[in-house]
Amino acid sequence: MAAENRHNSGRVRKIVLFCVFSLLVVVTVPLIPYAIDAYAVAGKQASVEKVAALEHPAINLWNEVRQRNEKVQGTTQVKGVDTGTLINKAGEDWRQFRVEQLVPYGAWFIGGVFGAIVLFYLFRGTQLMPGGRTGVLIPRFTLNQRTAHWFTAGVFWLLAITGLILLYGRYVLIPVLGAEGFSVTASACKEMHNLFGPLFIVSVLAMFVLYVRHNFFNLGDLKWFAKGGGMFGGHVSAGRFNAGEKTWFWLVIIFGSALCVSGLILVLAALVPGREILSLAHVFHGISAVLLIAVSFGHIYLGTVGVEGTLDSMTTGSVDAAWAKAHHDQWYAEMMNDSDAVEAVDQEQGSGLAEGGVARPEAGS
Amino acid sequence: MARMKFFCDAERCIECNGCVTACKNENEVPWGVNRRRVVTIKDGEPGERSLSVACMHCSDAPCAAVCPVDCFYTNDDGIVLHDKDTCIGCGYCFYACPFGAPQFPSDAAFASRGKMDKCTFCAGGPEVTHSSEEFTKYGSNRVAEGKLPLCAEMCATKALLAGDADVLSDIYRKRIVNRGASVMNWGVQFNKAGIDG
Repeated sequence: MAAENRHNSGRVRKIVLFCVFSLLVVVTVPLIPYAIDAYAVAGKQASVEKVAALEHPAINLWNEVRQRNEKVQGTTQVKGVDTGTLINKAGEDWRQFRVEQLVPYGAWFIGGVFGAIVLFYLFRGTQLMPGGRTGVLIPRFTLNQRTAHWFTAGVFWLLAITGLILLYGRYVLIPVLGAEGFSVTASACKEMHNLFGPLFIVSVLAMFVLYVRHNFFNLGDLKWFAKGGGMFGGHVSAGRFNAGEKTWFWLVIIFGSALCVSGLILVLAALVPGREILSLAHVFHGISAVLLIAVSFGHIYLGTVGVEGTLDSMTTGSVDAAWAKAHHDQWYAEMMNDSDAVEAVDQEQGSGLAEGGVARPEAGS
Repeated sequence: MARMKFFCDAERCIECNGCVTACKNENEVPWGVNRRRVVTIKDGEPGERSLSVACMHCSDAPCAAVCPVDCFYTNDDGIVLHDKDTCIGCGYCFYACPFGAPQFPSDAAFASRGKMDKCTFCAGGPEVTHSSEEFTKYGSNRVAEGKLPLCAEMCATKALLAGDADVLSDIYRKRIVNRGASVMNWGVQFNKAGIDG
């Protein structure tokens, strides 16, 4: 019995082992293709990496052509500016600036300032001299100063108009004159702008030399700015030039110089290497020009219809005492103390001399 | 509608400057004006490649966008042309063009450049086709004769192709696929070329 039992237990162990083995086979055999596939994929990847390590020498060609990472200068048989560059991206930046910023924003800015001044004039009207003209004249600008001013004004407007025609003519004048007609206009404008442009250098220098003495800012100018220059009524105390006039002077000098330097670069384009400098000069030229043109409207308004009597200072060179007292009280006081400076004019009634005699003690009051 | 394009195959261009010569001769371009040029990147170094470049006849041409007198136009074949009678020689197209295509006959004082000249895809200009005025101002008009630009026609290695953009794309695609078959030998990064299959 015991032997039979031992024999039986041996058979059972064999059956169990067989079952476990056949189960293993049944489970693993279908997985073999997957294993082979995985092995093959791993092998293929290894071979791919091997080939990738052999880098094609021209792999970065298009990065270099597009100037993506660094500026790559090629060589060429053609002699000229920038001929070794295949693609220069700077031009596209300049195009964006000119077409999408300078043209629309410049128009809005110049038009906006002009519109604001017209509205201001309709609202406020001409600011008259308080008490009317006295007939007492105070010299304000020498003949040299006036000559420099009108020379600058003439050159500035010649350049401003020709420049604006070149900037906006395509949109405004081609529909009116036609392509051929506008071409003649634009060509004339371009030649005038380039030939007379250098005169502006002379005029900016003359303005600086003849006017800088009285245009240094002082503490009193802060008060002038704080009160908005009397724009909202009342008069603000000021010396020979008020803070607004000083600002205009420095705008002319700073942006005028920017116009001169950038303009010279554009006129002497043949000496400039590459297009980047030219397009950058054009950006400075455009911004400075639009700014000065817009602000000059304010200057012209205040010098003519805005404030009565201001224009006299730039035509005859003298201003009426009433004007000086109202707008430049500190300067008025200075001038009245200087007895030689003031002259009285014989007005139609012939009472000017007498009034002039009376006017002087007023300085002390 | 056809859209004419140039295409230069960097793997084929051998910097022979034949295209430059063909252009100058066919269009009788004056001295100092080069409508087409060959630029070599990494000259004498590994990876040296040459490309022939001229006006690319852009769909959204920067020259036309900045021109103050609006003298550019795109014809029915997609070729960008300009009218020399309205051009004022301001040079703005030269600032804007990424390829340096616009050329000027002069660089005298006060920025006097003369009228701009550039590649016309051998398609003349706005003057009467095949008139002497057209030839003097713009050069040859081969497109009107049913021919392609001479630079591409003369290219010895057929690196420079000219014609309808769709056709050029097909030719180049076939070239790429054929090169892909032998890239293992050439050491080209075929897995990055997107044809590793």
